[in-house]
Amino acid sequence: METERKNFIDHMAAWITWPRLIFSLALLFFLTSILFPFYWMVSSSFKTHAEIAGREPVYIPEALRLEAYKELFDPSHPSYQDFGANILNTLKVSVPTAMIAVFLAVLGSYAIARLKFRGKNFLLNSILLVYLFPGVLLIIPLFAMLAQIGDRVGFNVQDNLGVLIFTYLSQTLPVALYMLTNYFRTIPDEIEQAAMIDGCSRLDVIWRVTLPLAIPALVSVSIYTFMIAWNEFLYALVFLNNHAMFTMPIKINTIFNDPTPRPHVVMAASTIMTVPIVLLFLSMERYLEEGLTAGGVKG
Amino acid sequence: MAIVSKPNHWKSLRARETRLAWSLISPTALIVFGLVIFPAIFSVWVSFHDVGLHNLNDVFHAPFVGFENYRKVFADFAFKFQPGQSWGAAVTSVVYSFTATILTIFVGLIAALLLNRPFRGRSITRAVFLFPYVAPIVSVAFVWRWILDPRPSGVVNDILMKLGVIDLPIAYLATRGLALLLVIIFDAWRYFPFAMLMILARLQAVDSTMYEAAEVDGANTLQKFWNITIPELRYVLGAVFLLRLMWTFNKFDDIFLLTGGGFGTRVLPVLTYEFSFRLFDFGRGAATAMILLTILAIFMAFYIGVVMRSDEDE
Repeated sequence: METERKNFIDHMAAWITWPRLIFSLALLFFLTSILFPFYWMVSSSFKTHAEIAGREPVYIPEALRLEAYKELFDPSHPSYQDFGANILNTLKVSVPTAMIAVFLAVLGSYAIARLKFRGKNFLLNSILLVYLFPGVLLIIPLFAMLAQIGDRVGFNVQDNLGVLIFTYLSQTLPVALYMLTNYFRTIPDEIEQAAMIDGCSRLDVIWRVTLPLAIPALVSVSIYTFMIAWNEFLYALVFLNNHAMFTMPIKINTIFNDPTPRPHVVMAASTIMTVPIVLLFLSMERYLEEGLTAGGVKG
Repeated sequence: MAIVSKPNHWKSLRARETRLAWSLISPTALIVFGLVIFPAIFSVWVSFHDVGLHNLNDVFHAPFVGFENYRKVFADFAFKFQPGQSWGAAVTSVVYSFTATILTIFVGLIAALLLNRPFRGRSITRAVFLFPYVAPIVSVAFVWRWILDPRPSGVVNDILMKLGVIDLPIAYLATRGLALLLVIIFDAWRYFPFAMLMILARLQAVDSTMYEAAEVDGANTLQKFWNITIPELRYVLGAVFLLRLMWTFNKFDDIFLLTGGGFGTRVLPVLTYEFSFRLFDFGRGAATAMILLTILAIFMAFYIGVVMRSDEDE
């Protein structure tokens, strides 16, 4: 026994060199500081109010208690939050935003990447200028403009998910356009030329040749635009007042700022909002990583 | 006839292509113009007019007030630099953006160097490293607030008290100075993956024969890092710096969610929001946003004109 342990220590001592030790410690530090907040979010969501409000933090919940989730989803709970409606609102905004942005961006970026026309560079540069404008700068004129238009045409600016989708296009379309243009440029022109010689029209070529080749890019751009809309906070905060219309981020903010603090409920709602996004990302990581560096997520 | 008709045919094809191009791009161009370019120009106009909730329905007839909005912003105690009391939003913004950007790049560089070495489980580690950047801002900001809870039951308070570092719980995000520092650390935590990915992509493109040559010459790890890695990374570091600085300077969500802009963390985007949607003084809000944009533009012009040009000269 004694010799065995000594052997093990010798073995360890031989394995550990200074660079290896520093490397392992640094890796450990990174992993704990990245993962601890996520662990804390998920574990807190399964705690009871008693566990949350105790004198000392509960590091490992005794059981998976659903008290927080009941407050979010169970209508018989005294402070029922109807979080299901908020999830639905978020989906109602983010799915159309992604679809419209990708559809428009496919058309636009194809024209920029393939066709020659005057004013192309000006157009592309002015679209990229968006990266310079803070969202908080655009929201003032957008609010004033849309209030005016809404007054004339007869729709409400506040609590209108359609208006929100419209404003989200200002944030997603430039990103989508930029990413897709880059992708279309990597598809060799010769493939399209060949199809055109075979008698296809331009639109046929786009539909039958270019789009099938661009599926990986279409997937990643859809996910990015979806994520931008899913996570968006400022515009939703300004444009939504009615609790029934809130998207998830605004609802979580409201629960957090409630006079009776209920961190376990906030964490439960945050978990619901985070898990699908992280899973979506992990399952598509191969496609998505390139987009991250291409500015897929602004901010 | 045939000679004439051929160029004509090509011309019409080209015209057709141009027409197609415009019809493909016009919906996008229209939306980008209507939702980005025009509002941007319009907000310059708003910053010179008295626009509030009272005349929002008739905004184009708002009275012209000249530089009054700007004067009000400059005179506001939340904006002004008052030595000894408060930095004011402009100075806070600059300090916050620069420090957060530099720290983000530093952490990203270390992470990239870690992931550049082969080890078991590297690809899953790399995916985990991206979590903070991918997760929704609202969730991660509130988890941080909950971890930094001011009560003794907050995790950080509990750990530090058990270790004997502090005797009494600290209200981390409600203490002047500490709050700004923590917001900066939060930013580094959340945004280092962006820097990491950019740096990693460049690191993997570095020609390995350079390191081999250096080894033959007897260079140690530190010398190799300093004389090969850093020079190779110079351009990517510059690009990341510029992008991150721009985005951090414009950032609203992080600070608003973490501190609400209190305790010495009120930056220009938060001040813009407060003027516009708490006081409903859109003119003053727009003026603040213009000041923000001006500072940013001056810096960008300086960076691109001076720093990047001197790089080229070398």
